This record gives sequence, structure tokens and C-alpha cells, in this order.
Amino acid sequence: MSDPVDPNDVAPVAPIPSNARAKQLRACLLCSIIQSPVDFRKYGCPNCEEITQMKQSQDRVASCTTTHFDGVIALLEPETSWVARWQRTAKYVRGIYAVQVKGHVPEDVEQELLDRGIQYRRRDQTEMD
Amino acid sequence: MSDLENDPILGENQEDDENSDDEREQRRRQKQRRRDDDEEDEEEDEEDDEEDPGDARGKKRRKVRYNTQSSRRLDVSRYLDTIADVDDDEEDDDEDEEYGKDDFLDAGAPEEGDLDDINRRAAQHARLDRRQQELNDEDLAKIAQDVTRRYRPTTQKYTGDMNEIPQRLLMPSVQDANLWQVRVRPGKEREIVFSLMRKAMDLELSARPLQILSVFQRDSLPGMIYVEARSSQQVLQACNGLVGVYPSRGVILVPIEEMASLLQIKKKETTITPGSWVRIRRGKYGGDLAQVLDIAENGEEVGLKFVPRIDLNPKDELATPDGKKRKKLASGLSVGPRPPQRFFNYEEVVKAHGRRNVAKRNQVYVFGGETYRDGYIEKDFKVAALILENVNPTLDEIMKFTRQEDGGENDANVNLSVIAEAAKKEAITVLQPGDHVEVFEGEQTGVHGVVLSIANDIVTLRAQGMDIDGERVDVPARSLRKRFKAGDHVKVMSGHNADETGLVVAVAENIVTFLSDMSMQEVSVFSKDLREAAEVGSSTNIIGNYELHDLVQIDPQTVGVIFKTERDSFRVLDQNGNVRQVLPHQISMRKDSNRAIATDSEGHVLRVRDNVKETDGEGRKGQVLHIYQSFYAFLFNRDITENGGVFVTRTRVLVSQAPKGNLLKPGSVDTTKMNPSLNGGAIGGMVGSQMFRGPRDRLIGVSVSVKQGPYKAHIGVIKDVNGTIARVELQTGNKVITVDKTKLWRRNKDGTLEDLEGFRGPAMGAGAGRGGGRGGGRGGFGPPRGFGQNNFNQNNFNQGSQNPYNQPSFNDDGRTPAPGKTPAYGGRTPMHPPSDSRTPAWNASRTPNPYSGGATPAWNASRTPNPYATEAARTPGWGAGANSNAQGFGRSPAHFGDQANEWNYNGGRTPGHNPDRQDNGWNPTSDDLDSAQTPAASAPTPSAWGSSSWGGGWDNPRGSMGFSAETPAASAPTPAAAETPGPSYLNHDDEYDAEHDHWIFRYPIEDKTGLIITIKNGPNGPADRYDGGIYNGHRGQVLSIQDPGKLDKAFVYIRLLTDGKMISVPIKYIEETPPEKRGDRVIVLDDVDPSKIGTVYTVSGPPEGMMVPLTNEQGSIQMELDKICLYRSS
Repeated sequence: MSDPVDPNDVAPVAPIPSNARAKQLRACLLCSIIQSPVDFRKYGCPNCEEITQMKQSQDRVASCTTTHFDGVIALLEPETSWVARWQRTAKYVRGIYAVQVKGHVPEDVEQELLDRGIQYRRRDQTEMD
Repeated sequence: MSDLENDPILGENQEDDENSDDEREQRRRQKQRRRDDDEEDEEEDEEDDEEDPGDARGKKRRKVRYNTQSSRRLDVSRYLDTIADVDDDEEDDDEDEEYGKDDFLDAGAPEEGDLDDINRRAAQHARLDRRQQELNDEDLAKIAQDVTRRYRPTTQKYTGDMNEIPQRLLMPSVQDANLWQVRVRPGKEREIVFSLMRKAMDLELSARPLQILSVFQRDSLPGMIYVEARSSQQVLQACNGLVGVYPSRGVILVPIEEMASLLQIKKKETTITPGSWVRIRRGKYGGDLAQVLDIAENGEEVGLKFVPRIDLNPKDELATPDGKKRKKLASGLSVGPRPPQRFFNYEEVVKAHGRRNVAKRNQVYVFGGETYRDGYIEKDFKVAALILENVNPTLDEIMKFTRQEDGGENDANVNLSVIAEAAKKEAITVLQPGDHVEVFEGEQTGVHGVVLSIANDIVTLRAQGMDIDGERVDVPARSLRKRFKAGDHVKVMSGHNADETGLVVAVAENIVTFLSDMSMQEVSVFSKDLREAAEVGSSTNIIGNYELHDLVQIDPQTVGVIFKTERDSFRVLDQNGNVRQVLPHQISMRKDSNRAIATDSEGHVLRVRDNVKETDGEGRKGQVLHIYQSFYAFLFNRDITENGGVFVTRTRVLVSQAPKGNLLKPGSVDTTKMNPSLNGGAIGGMVGSQMFRGPRDRLIGVSVSVKQGPYKAHIGVIKDVNGTIARVELQTGNKVITVDKTKLWRRNKDGTLEDLEGFRGPAMGAGAGRGGGRGGGRGGFGPPRGFGQNNFNQNNFNQGSQNPYNQPSFNDDGRTPAPGKTPAYGGRTPMHPPSDSRTPAWNASRTPNPYSGGATPAWNASRTPNPYATEAARTPGWGAGANSNAQGFGRSPAHFGDQANEWNYNGGRTPGHNPDRQDNGWNPTSDDLDSAQTPAASAPTPSAWGSSSWGGGWDNPRGSMGFSAETPAASAPTPAAAETPGPSYLNHDDEYDAEHDHWIFRYPIEDKTGLIITIKNGPNGPADRYDGGIYNGHRGQVLSIQDPGKLDKAFVYIRLLTDGKMISVPIKYIEETPPEKRGDRVIVLDDVDPSKIGTVYTVSGPPEGMMVPLTNEQGSIQMELDKICLYRSS
């Protein structure tokens, strides 16, 4: 984080789902973070809430996240980790991420990204460059 | 009070309800307690608590503290405290100020005059001032930032994720931390990743935070996680203490170039499209085929259509209330068998479940919460609950989906389109060059030809027929289908009927109907699943450990024979004639009935693989597959279609189809008497021999040396023997070890070593021989049993006894029967067919020897099994060498007809001795001799064997001595006897024949060391091998010959030419090595000029009788090939 942070203060961490086995764990289609649906609804996505606006909206959670993901990453040092860089999650909060997320963000989210000049990348590795 | 409630700060709090509750509670308490000066701390605590929403924990903490606090009196200033508590929010300074003022004013009135209070208030004011000062000092910008960060983290601007950098530039470099592969418990990968995350969080602010950067796991790589860290030490530190992580199994560095691919692994894509086929993974419809109707937007749920399974016979009453009913239904799902697939029929369902439970809405029925349309159930499933790959719908299943709305079945045309869709994907993969295909869609429709090559989806084929014959055509694979024509012999490659073969009888589009070779029924399959194949039958005859026609134990009472193997189950015909389907795991064991025997309707021995016929009933013929309990016989006849040609019948109604060598007239002797023992032998043989073993094994106490294994060369004494296992007390260390008997040498007093079991060659069935021998010594019933068993093992002999040896004697006189019967005596006689008269003689002479000679009967017994004639011949010899005769015999009795004659006379006597001496040991040995004289005796003998009445058996021989004339009569029964255990010994015998004048002793070669010998099978056929035959064909140079004067115990000590290993080989397993090429050094094995060493000039011509030119110092000579042996002077 570029903000000058109190040294005692820790980098933000996404809520870690309590149960790794829970079938209902969901991954954000945009940033691939994995949270329980409850956390998504309660706090939204810690990385891309601004765009996905899932907080307090069950529907948005359902449309912007999915249970279809493969591989789980515990990201502890996003800024230095190569894994994070490769996954393009280096600027995100620490937390649990998925390696692959199947699916596509809703159109409005993609439009919003376009408007901001951000290219949307699917996280299902169907398109590589 | 009230203004506090409305306090904007409180209002701003996210969890206002809860927090205001907190506040109120706090205030309540504060009314009774007085605050002291640690308010400051408390404030901070409160701050924390408020940040932490819904904090039961915080409350508790507070409670504790309050309780311990000394609270002296009520204080109005609680308001101030309260405000201070809430005030943590770092809101507006002004507001703080105001609180302070309010507090001051409010609090002032009631508290006046109280000195303490004044002091306290002064302190509070001071504190407030201080705090204000602090706040002012703080950088306002930072405060703003803090606030922003703390309360609005989610509104952080989303800036994308390094989108601009292409992935390839993100490849790891040497500067990046490494990935380390760590083994974990399979199935726990994800949990461990989570645990590491939590652990990292916990230790973050500790003295030793985890230094790993990330951890990840892939579903496709079970049992591993990958940790990103700078060193393996950090990985170990991170994994330390976690359950299910096995860093001890190695923390492996992932090469840099492989790092990216770990994250790129892609699951095989299974795309679902409406109309495609899937299977339901589990539950009531587990395994059922379903068609995809639609797919939810997020791809997680799929709408399916399939044939419902409605229980039309619900157990509960129609009238029961809804709730109860559902419960019962639900429980019924797991317990009872699931109802069959059946289309939804309104009337039926109403009848079964009541009208109230079925509702009709528009075009669909709703029943039990499910929707039914056109008879199908339509239901949403999670993708995870479906099987998407290898669905392989069968024709039958697909047929169910082609129902028209009117309920009628569509014709095949509709099927085809559906099926084609289903089969399309596979069609590409099943084509192979050489397949006959035809184009069924597109421009080239109708073209057919042979596949030349396949490149991706494009198939190149050489067209046949029409006007483009021979041209190469490229066609998309999906437009092709395999082409078969009536008369082709095909094999099913996949699907339900996999591995069926048959003859194509009809081809309709891509459905091929063929007549199965196995079941003789018509089977229809998709052409894609077929392949032309010449082979007949099914290769799936083996499932697991079981094979077609195996006798298997199904439950303690039931055995059966597998007559058909299906995909993963068997059809089994049990002994009661019932057919049942069993799964491999339901079979407790396979039974071996190879040794089982029974008696047929005529009292003959019935064995596995005999061709028999039923004497009653349907008169079915067949080959005996298995015999069970000597009562049931499973027969096989491929002409019978029922049950794959396997049927079960009682052994008593069977009669052999093949005429036996010795056809007996039943009745002359009560053969049935023999049967029990035979039977007993068959079934309880093993046990019997064990049971009847003497109380003390003769090997106990024997000094031995260990032949091989970790204790090789150790010396010890056998303490106990159990079967083939001996417990040996070693001289060193006073240790008792358990060793296989075959791994022991007997250690004689003089330190020489010999085979533990004495005479028996290594190849002999140790157990058998021993059992017999020992039993004999005791003279109990044991031996017969044991023999019985042996017989069966070495069955060739049983019959053999009747044939090879007996036959000749038959010719001569009535004696023959005897040999058959009294195996012991008879055995030998055959050797000298021409000079029958002789036989008895030398038998006699010999016979006495062993006994009189003081050779231990026990020994004889043990040996007995082996020697045929040989034995006999030998016996005298080694039987303490008492007789000069014996010597003569030791040479080949067979050769010396004359001498034998002399002894004939003695022979007459011998029988008399025999009885005295011993039982079985003798019987086998002396074979023919007795037979000659004691034909009569022989007759009884068999029965003796059978009935195990030994004494009786023996007495007879005495009495009958010399009654050769009578013998013939006796002979009749004998054959039965022949089958009896006795003969089995014969097996071992003839080995010794050869040894008698073994070539290695035959020629007076001065120096036998240097002979190159070849290890071969023993004289008793392929089963008679040295050390399991592993050295067969190996050559070795003779180093020394161990000749204890008994040929059967003679060994050669050789060095293998192959690997230089030195081994001892009984001489019966060695033969001369012929020269192979010019220049080979050979030694002449010849009585005339032995020891002549020469060099082969040339080796050519047929091996028989070839003369090999040799050269040596004396010039050149020619020798027969079999008279020379490779030689290497030592």
C-alpha cells in the first residue's frame, strides 16, 4: 500500500474463511479472493468492492462471485510474492485467493471497468498473453 | 442522558444498536461504582471494543474489570466517563469539548461540596485538556487517512491489477522467492493452506513471524502444497507443528521454469450445452442419464430432464398428513430399494399418493416439490453433482428420452440425431487408421473408404467404390462413422457390452446388430463402439482374482462356479443349481479343486478334467470342472447353452466317458471300501498327514547347517518341525530361528553336509515323502492318508503305475496285478520285464537287506517314495551294504539279467520278510518283486491302503507268498489299489535309476574336476528341477564330487560359468555338455580310452550319433558326440 502507514499497523487482511472445507466458499470473479458468502455480503470484496458493490447485496454476491474455482492461495506478502504478481493480485489485500476462477463478471461490471480504462481479464486462464 | 443517547458519535457507530446497549449497561454499572484513574486505559479498551463489532468478549472483559475495581460511591461524573468512552472515535474536537463542558455543568450541581469529587473532576479536566492537545498535535491529514483507511477500506479506488503487463513478463526470475513443494496429507491440502494463512496472521506481530510469502495448492495435484519462500528453512518453520504436513518427506525446490506451469494447470474443460447428456452422481437418481435443458448464468446449476423414479407403493397411508409423509419418503430414499424409472403418470401418482399431493400448473405437474413435464422430471442440479465425462449413454437409455408427447416411442430416426449428438465427441477419438468408415453428412455423404490418417479432426480416407475409387478424401471426423456390413466379425470396444464379440447381422445407420459369440443373442450397439476383430470370445474372463470357471466360495455353505463374467460381476452357478449374480467382493475365496477326487457311479476315481456322462437324468456329457466335497461335480459342456454350459450334478451319477486303462469288473472286490479312504485322502489329506504325524519328528535333534539366508553357515540343532518349517537352535548366541527346511543341510558328525531329508532329491515333494515315510514307520493309519494325498498330487503316477510298468508284467504272467497293487514291490519289477522271473529273486535278496542290514526302516520309508526299480536297486546297496548281492544290484539290476535270476529264489522268500519289516516304506520300494510272488498279497494290499488297516494288509502277503498263480485273480482289485496312494511314490523313484550308473561315475576318468556340466531337469519330468529350475541350462565346472557311496546322495560341487557362483547340485540334475564349436576342449567319456583330452576339430551334422573329430597329442580320433564332454583343465 502506498499510504504511509503506522509501522505498528498491519496491512489489511481479508477475512479468512473459518472452514476451508466449506463447499460454499466463493471466489470473486474480478480479483479472485476467496471468502465465505457471509463475508462477501457483510464486508463486500476487500479489493474491488468499489466496482462490484457486493456489500449488503445477496444478488451482487451471487453474480460477482462463484464457487467454481480451482486452487487456493494463501497470500501473505502480496507485494513481494511472485505468486501474487503472476496472479495479478500483488496490489490486493492479504488473504485467500483462488488460482483459477471460472466465470465472467456481470456486464455492468465489465462496462464499469471499461469506462475506467481497465481491461478486464478473466481469471479462468482461457486467455493468456 | 438523553443527549448522550442522541450523540452523533454513537449514531455514527456501525453497530449502533449493540453499542448503545453496551453504553447503557455501562452506565448502569457506573451508577454504583466509582471510576478511578485508570479510565484512560479503559477508554482505549472501549475503543478496541467498539471497533470490534458485536463483541461479547469486550463486555466480559469490562465486567471483570469493574468487579475488581474499587467502587466507593455513586458519581455523576459517570457521564463524563461515558463520553470519554465513546469519544474514542477521534471525531470532532469540538464535540469533545462540548462533552467536557456539558459534563462539567451537569455534573457540577449534584456533586458540589464533595472534595473528592472536585479533585477528581480536576483530574478529568486536566486529562481532557491533555487529550485535546494531543489531538491538535496530530497531523490532521494523517487522522483523515486513518479514518479513511479504517472505516472505508472497501471504497478504496479499484485500479485494476497490473493489467498492462503481459503474463509472459511476469515469469519468475532469480530474484523472486522460490517455490517449495511440501507433501501433505491428501485431501487436506486446502485446509492446510488455510491453516498456514491463519498461522501467519497469528504470528505476524510475534517475535518470529512466518517468513513465507504465499502458499498455494492445486486440486489437480493432490497431496502437495507449494510454499513461496526464500529458503527451505522458512518453509520448515512455517510447516512446523501443523498436522497433516509432512516436511520430513522432503521440501523440494520447484525449478524456476516450472513455477508458472504450476499455476497454469487447467482443469479439463467440460462444457455443458443444452441437449447434452450427463449422469447424476448420487442420490435417488444416482447413475441415471439426464439431458441438459438449460444452464444457469453462473454455470453452477443445470436444469435437467430425466425419467423420474416415483414410489408408487408408498408405505404410509394416503391420509397421513403431509409432513409425516415427506419424512417417510425421505427416509425411504436411503433405506429401501429405489423405485424403478417410470414416466410420470398423473393417474398413477394420484392413486398412490392422493390427489391433494399432485398439483397441475399450466403444462406441468407438481408433486412432492418437483416439477414434471411430459412424464419427465425437471430439476435443477449443481454441476458438482453431475458426471459430465464418459457419460456413454446406451441405446436403451436414450430411447427413454425419445418419447413423444403422446407417450408413444419415436422411431429410430429421431434416435439417431440424438445419439449422433451424444456420440459425436467420441467418434473422433475412436477412429483409427485402417478403419472402414463412411461419410454420413456433408458433401461427401455416402462415400466410404479406409482411414489413412487422422490429423486433429480431419480424417484422410481412401475412397472405395463409386467413381472416386482410390482417391484420397479429407473429411471432418464428425461426419464419419464406422462402417460395418453383415458378416463382419466385430468386437465391442466400450460400453455396456464391452468385449463382446460377434457376427454382424444387421446394420442400420450407425446401429449395428450382431450375434454375440458368447450368448448367441443379438446385441445392438453403436458402430462407434465396434471394431472389426478376428478374436472370438471375451477377454473379460478375469475380474479381479477370479476367472471364468473358477470354483468360488460364496458363503460358508455355498460354493459355485463362475460361468459368466460381466462387466464387474459374475454369474455363478452354485452347488444347488441356483444361479446367482455376485460381485467380486462377495466372493470369499477361490477354491482349488485340482486335487479333489470323487468316485463315479462305478466306483472309479473321478477327477477334475475327466470327461464324464450322467447315467441318469438327462444324460448330459461334460468335462469335470470342479469337484466339491466329493459329492458335487461341476461339469462344462459348451454345447449346452444354459448357464454358459456349466451345470452341476452329483458325482454318483457320473460315469467316465473315456475307457480307463484297467477296466474292472465291479464286484470282484468291494471297491467302495476303498473309496472312503480315497475320499478322505482327497479332502482331508493335508490335515490328515499333519494330524497323524508322530509325536516327535525324526528331524528333531538333528544337527544342521543353514544353507541360505541371513543365517547361512550357522550351525544348530533342530528343536521343532512344523510342516516345512524348522525351528533351529543355533550354536551361537543360543538363538532359536525359524527356517525353511529346504534351507538346511544335515550336518553329520564328521562335519560333512548332506541333504536334510536324506535320500530325497530336492525336487521331491518334501511334505509328501516325509508324510509317507514317517507314517510308515509308525505303521499307523496315517500313512495311507498321506499317501492318498500324494497320489493326487503326482497323479501321473497313479495311472502310470498301471500302465508303464505294470503292463509288461501283465504280459508275462498273472503277476502284473500285483505291481499295480502293491506299489512297493511292483514298482521295481517292471524294470525287467523280459526277465520277470528274475525280479522276484533280486527283490528278495535285496529286500531282506535293508531290513536285516540294519538300515533303519524309518529311513527306508522316507526314501521309499522315490526309488522305483532304482530304489530297490539302491536300497540294498546302502542298506548297510550287508549283501554282496546288494552291490550287484547297486549296479544296474536291469542290466544284469543273469544275476537277477539267481536271486529269484530268494525272492520267493522275501515277501515273508516284508511283512515283518515294514509297511509303506517297503511297499513302494520293493514294488514288483513282491508282485511277482505275492500277487495275492497285492490284492489285499490296496484295500489295506484304502482302509488303512495296515496290519491286515501285511499279513496277507505272507500267506500268499509264492502263489503267483493266484495273483491274476487278485490283480483284478489291484487296479483300484493302483489308484490308491501307493503308486504315487513311484514318482520319485526312477530318478535313481539313472544315477545308478551315472555317467559321471561310469567312466574311470582320473580327474573329474574340470568337467563342464550342464544343469538340466531331473529324470522325473519338468517338475523335477534343481532349485526350481533357475539354473537349468547353466553350465558349471566341476570342482569336486561328493560321493558318499550312495548315488542318490551324490552331489557335484560346481562353479557356474555364468556368474562364478559355487553351488552343489545333485548329480541327477547334471548332464554332459557337448562341444559347440571348433577348438573346444573336450574329454572323452569312454571306457576304452577315458580321460583322453582333445580339441574339437569341427562340430557339424545332426546331433544324434554325430562323430566329432578330435585332435590331441596322440593324433586325431573321432568320437560320438554323446561320449565327450566339455572340459576345462583346472
